[in-house]
Amino acid sequence: MAATLRPSARRILVRTGLLAVAGAGAWAWQHHLTLSLHQTAFATGLALFATCLGLALFNSRKKLPFLPLLRAATWTQVHIYAGWFSILLFLFHIGFRWPDGPFEVLLASVFLLVAVSGVFGLVLSRTLPGRLTNHGENVIYERIPALRARLQRDVETLVLKSVEETKSCTIADFYATRLKGYFDRPRNFFHYLAWGQTPLKGILGEILLLKRYTNERESAILAELTEYLQAKENLDFQLAGQGLLKYWLFVHIPLTASLLLLGAFHGLYVFYFTGGLR
Amino acid sequence: MAEITATISRPQRWDVPFDDKMDATAVDRLLAIPPFSRIDASQFPKSTPLRDILLNDTSLRSFRKGELIVREGDYGNSAFFIIQGSVKVTLGKDAIPAALLGRRETRKKNFLETLGQLWRNPSFPEVRDTARYQAARPGARRGDTTPPLPAPAASRHPFGRQAEARTGAVFLSDVPAVLKGGTATLTAGVFFGEIAALGRTPRTATIFADEASELLEIRWQGLRELRLRAPEIKQFVDTNYRKYSLENHLRETEYFRDLPPAELKIVADQTRFETYGGFDWHTDYKKNRDISPVERLRGEPVIAEQGQYANGLILIRAGFARLSQKYNHGERTASYLARGQMFGFKEIAHNWRTKESVALRYTLRALGYVDVLVVPTAIVEQYVLPKLAPAALPPPIVTAEEDDNPISPLQQVSGKLPTDFVEFLVDNRFINGRAAMLIDLERCTRCDDCVRACAASHDNNPRFVRHGQQLGSYMVANACMHCLDPVCMIGCPTGAISRDATGGQVVINDTTCIGCSTCANSCPYHNIQMVEIRDAAGELLLDQEQRPVTKAAKCDLCLEQPAGPACVRACPHDALARLNIRDTDTLAAWLQR
Repeated sequence: MAATLRPSARRILVRTGLLAVAGAGAWAWQHHLTLSLHQTAFATGLALFATCLGLALFNSRKKLPFLPLLRAATWTQVHIYAGWFSILLFLFHIGFRWPDGPFEVLLASVFLLVAVSGVFGLVLSRTLPGRLTNHGENVIYERIPALRARLQRDVETLVLKSVEETKSCTIADFYATRLKGYFDRPRNFFHYLAWGQTPLKGILGEILLLKRYTNERESAILAELTEYLQAKENLDFQLAGQGLLKYWLFVHIPLTASLLLLGAFHGLYVFYFTGGLR
Repeated sequence: MAEITATISRPQRWDVPFDDKMDATAVDRLLAIPPFSRIDASQFPKSTPLRDILLNDTSLRSFRKGELIVREGDYGNSAFFIIQGSVKVTLGKDAIPAALLGRRETRKKNFLETLGQLWRNPSFPEVRDTARYQAARPGARRGDTTPPLPAPAASRHPFGRQAEARTGAVFLSDVPAVLKGGTATLTAGVFFGEIAALGRTPRTATIFADEASELLEIRWQGLRELRLRAPEIKQFVDTNYRKYSLENHLRETEYFRDLPPAELKIVADQTRFETYGGFDWHTDYKKNRDISPVERLRGEPVIAEQGQYANGLILIRAGFARLSQKYNHGERTASYLARGQMFGFKEIAHNWRTKESVALRYTLRALGYVDVLVVPTAIVEQYVLPKLAPAALPPPIVTAEEDDNPISPLQQVSGKLPTDFVEFLVDNRFINGRAAMLIDLERCTRCDDCVRACAASHDNNPRFVRHGQQLGSYMVANACMHCLDPVCMIGCPTGAISRDATGGQVVINDTTCIGCSTCANSCPYHNIQMVEIRDAAGELLLDQEQRPVTKAAKCDLCLEQPAGPACVRACPHDALARLNIRDTDTLAAWLQR
């Protein structure tokens, strides 16, 4: 069966198997510690902190692309599976029950947020690139504002041309009342984030209705306008999608830094009160 | 922003001559030797007179017995002319063990230098050390009227050929013992190395001095001018090729390798040279990019047509060819051929073995300039096929009537790549790429870690744009592909853009680049940018006429970085790869991951 799988599916299967083995090993280890009357919280806590520290090193690796420190793709895979492993360690560490002390609640919440944002980022990185690719022209994020401005200029030129050529203000009126706001700035950001259907359908429906008031030349201009609308819709989609892919890290990384700080404090605190530092 | 005040001299061709030891006396001496003595100097324009070419683009070099002159596999940017003495050409592939060739790898940064980039990278874009330019330009352009400049030893050509080539000569101490194959001798009055230099291809043989010899080394820009203006030189070089190199070329070809020398000579004598398409294929390609695929195909010269009898075995000597097959009213591209590949062998072998007469199954078209060697079918049947073991012969051809597995229009015709992908690669001439940047957009999260890594490895200047032609979810980004045929090198007046001798990467010598934009305009893929440079204080550098000084910039495959291309290593989702488009196995494996 494994032989018929795509190489990528086979890799996922193998790595998930390894994660399961590591998870089982960690469980056996902490179970053994419990049976031998050791404080498992110390061991699992230290292991969890070390794992989180290792996970955080990925960001440092990104800052040193020229050093021969393994490929970032390898780091990503390790990061993903070590991330899942850290969740297991966390569950072992808290004994599968939510803590009750205020600091511990804070620490556990931050860990949870880091884990959730990480899983969210993983899901995004596996689903959004395909949607962005299939949606329309691939554009560079930083160029989107310039492209949008150019698009708006072109559309306004087209609308003015329609007035000059057809001596009719049907299209100009429609642009002023319905389309100007659409071209002025990024639109439907949250709509796209919510995986919604394309909001363009409504406007295109209105254009279809408008055609009963237009002559042949105006219809041709409307067809051209429709292409601009689709281009704008793609820009908005790319902005939302690429923005999300870029900015989820702005949540994940600061939370990770907070987690490490809180975790270090938690470790020192526990160590102090158990006599380690006295 | 800093004020714009810095001024430097605008770089010129021949600011850095090939060899500053060349002087008027040496030029006079050359002009007394055939074929240079037969050149009509009046055919050369005032901007590039014959004497200046010889003065600035050549170097007189002495070699001792056994000293290596060129190595097989190295990329050469110059040709040689034997003035006196003789040289030996090794025959057969890898005739001398690589360990004895003394090949010098490009120096890579050490760990500390690499790490130092973290804090040493300038904060302004395109910052250059301006002292380098002044050191490379101790005076104005050298001409016969100007006495040779007494350049200080320390500043003498820190970036010229001398510094690169004259350090550490390599000798073959016991030639008969180290040679695996035979040798051929070239004597005074012969050119060699011109194919590699002009064709931008690797050297096909190792050549060493057979005795104390004096050679004239000619930078390829100079050789190109000489061939263009002096028909004597062109004829001389071409005659030399047939006389000395053709047999060697045939011997490098799989099916001719084991032919006895006498028979190989007969084959060489009967081989025809044919040329298709224009040399400046990149300009035609740019013009024709927007026409329909059918029209484009119609414009490509046919070398051999499907359905015709195979009159000869076609060996591609230079350039690229499209292999296509008729499909109803159109043609499907099945594959692409490049230098070293052959066409028609299967049909010829099949017909010889079965006594049938199967016609050519594909059409071969020139994609721009293509140089082919045609070995007549009768010669192949008489001398080549009988010498091959049955296992070496290709399997019998299954004709269309026998094949009951019809293929859909976009299914792969041959090989492992889907037809639409092959069409995409050929139509956009990506088949030229030896290290094309392919991005899988289904994996790419547009994080730009690749761009940032590139910038971090190049003084904070990214050397590619994460944008480019796209087919489905695959993009060929605007990054230098280090082409098999780097047409960017064709017009460079100074030789600033050249191949790295060992790896063949196309690199730009920033010091000798005069910012003429020829390479950027020639690159059919828009992968070279012209950038305005600054000094360490961030001030734009201006020439005497207050125009910004520009330099060509592009990807160098992180030649100096110990870890290799930073873009590939930085991609967190394994979406980016640098691939040789001719290596279809690797390409197919990457597509089907």
